[in-house]
Amino acid sequence: MSVLPFTSRSAARGRPHRNMVLTRADDLRLTRGPWRKAFAVLLVVCYLSLPHWYSDASLSVLTLVAAFAIGSIGLNLLVGYTGQVSLGHAAFVSIGAFATSALGDQRGWPLPAYLAVAVLVGLLVGAIVGPFALRLRGNYLAIVTIGLVFVAEHIYRNWESLSVPVRGTAPTRNAAIELGPLDFGKGLQFGDVVYTREQSLFWLAWALVALTALVAHNITRTRSGRAMQAVRDHDLSAEVIGVNPARTKVGVFAVSGAMAAAGGVVYSFTLGAVDYHELSGGRGLFMSITFLAIIILGGLGTIYGSILGAFLVIYGQRFIADNGADAPILGIPVEKGWLSTGELNGVLFGLLVIGFLLLEPRGLAALWLRVRRWFEKWPFSY
Amino acid sequence: MTTADQQSGEPRLRVHDISLAFGEVKTLNGVSFDVNPGELLAVIGPNGAGKTSIFNCLSAVYRPHSGSIHLDGHSLIGVSPTKAARLGVGRTFQNLGLFEHLDVVDNLLLGRHHLMRSGFLAGALWLGRARREEVAHREAVEQVIELLALTPYRRTHVGLLPYGVQKRIELGRALAMEPRVLLLDEPVAGMNLEETEDMARYLVELRKELGVSMILVEHDMHLVMDLADRVLALDFGTPLATGTPAEVQAHPDVIAAYLGGAA
Repeated sequence: MSVLPFTSRSAARGRPHRNMVLTRADDLRLTRGPWRKAFAVLLVVCYLSLPHWYSDASLSVLTLVAAFAIGSIGLNLLVGYTGQVSLGHAAFVSIGAFATSALGDQRGWPLPAYLAVAVLVGLLVGAIVGPFALRLRGNYLAIVTIGLVFVAEHIYRNWESLSVPVRGTAPTRNAAIELGPLDFGKGLQFGDVVYTREQSLFWLAWALVALTALVAHNITRTRSGRAMQAVRDHDLSAEVIGVNPARTKVGVFAVSGAMAAAGGVVYSFTLGAVDYHELSGGRGLFMSITFLAIIILGGLGTIYGSILGAFLVIYGQRFIADNGADAPILGIPVEKGWLSTGELNGVLFGLLVIGFLLLEPRGLAALWLRVRRWFEKWPFSY
Repeated sequence: MTTADQQSGEPRLRVHDISLAFGEVKTLNGVSFDVNPGELLAVIGPNGAGKTSIFNCLSAVYRPHSGSIHLDGHSLIGVSPTKAARLGVGRTFQNLGLFEHLDVVDNLLLGRHHLMRSGFLAGALWLGRARREEVAHREAVEQVIELLALTPYRRTHVGLLPYGVQKRIELGRALAMEPRVLLLDEPVAGMNLEETEDMARYLVELRKELGVSMILVEHDMHLVMDLADRVLALDFGTPLATGTPAEVQAHPDVIAAYLGGAA
């Protein structure tokens, strides 16, 4: 038994301290230390209980946040972790939305089937687009990926069986959202307890967020994820030490496309019908930029940052849409002045992105890191 | 030219008569040398002599216009840099090629990238294989960390570390690759005396413990003369002399190249 004053009490009892890393496998565990475990428990409690005290309207906003979070995690793998800028993310999201309509709604496929097709098509299109990143970088790659949203618009405009019956929109209301005995679309039912569609979709959507985040986290902490970050930081040296940049870039485009498509499926759940004008063409480009704003505000190169960013942007946009119309700018209410509320939204988020890039380029995630560091160093946190 | 005790069998690396030109500028002009197992060959020459170009040819970043390069009998001409790494070319960069946003452990693990197999799918699902691979290679990396006394920095992002430590991390990353031949591009450039001596000690230790073949490009002549088994002197891409450090130091052409004699 040690008599050293620095030895913690638990070690003195012959048991290693709870934070002690004994093996390499310990070092790789997800929930290391009591704080992380407590936080994980807290998240699960929130997940299970939120639908009980939130209104259905609020829950559908949260489900929309989930859809954006899933897509943003995919974009963050591409932009934040691999350094490949894409402005075509909305096109990948549209794949999921239209798969839900064409397969789920119009052909009555079950959820696992159209979700799988959406993810596979997203994966495939990503793998096709990926090779462009081998020759182009930075702004040039961004310009090429803009092309994607316009190609998508062209396809949706002309592929008539996809976007009937009302021009431009594809119904998703009747898509079955069932997993085995769990019917999320009609509302979950456990014995006598019946939940609404919104409550059920919240659970489904956020379970998918958790799954996506786990997959992304696993990728980033293993071989491929390290390769992605190596390509981002120093591509020549990555190649010289044995990382294949081509394979890495194509792979991450595919994974990112698949995640965006999954996000698109969830996105379509919150709407009765998807409108291709929202997801492709000029407004599709705006949607892609919204995704970029999410990961920049949330934190490039972090997975939880993508989720934080989705909260900030979706709730922020809602807030401005609800309250912006009467907000006085220079004494004149917005709608009576020279801006529409939508434009005000764009301007404010544009300013927010610029502000973050100048002051905290690592986004909300870095703010959290600062808070954590402050507490870790307490009482010497100056 | 080579001492007899090192001549046990085939040389590990055989470079024969390579030439490289960018337009009219001849960077390398008929350079040949061998590196034996466990040997340290130093390449010296004034700025622009073509030292880094040799490294770029060896790691397949440049493709020489003529000549041949063989490592353990495999040709390195026309392969991709990734393939060259897999065949056993490990390298450090003159101006550092570290991944600054990753920590020391991840940087070294990237050195072992070519020894690992799991791809996106196995990694994403955290399958048993990917997991075991992570653990096994982490063990190997920890050995390198210990060998180079990098333990205090394990979890620090390398971009935040001092230059001397970064140089050591880069050496560590090249070592983690388990290379057959290690290319060191000015490992002590910009270092103070103490850091230089540390680095020299590590290099001596590595040779003793791992028996890895090394090629060293360096301007610090004390280091070169102390560590090298043989020295290759270049000027404007043309080999001037090859031999033991003492022989090369005394060679009239080398003296002329450095001091500007009556040529």
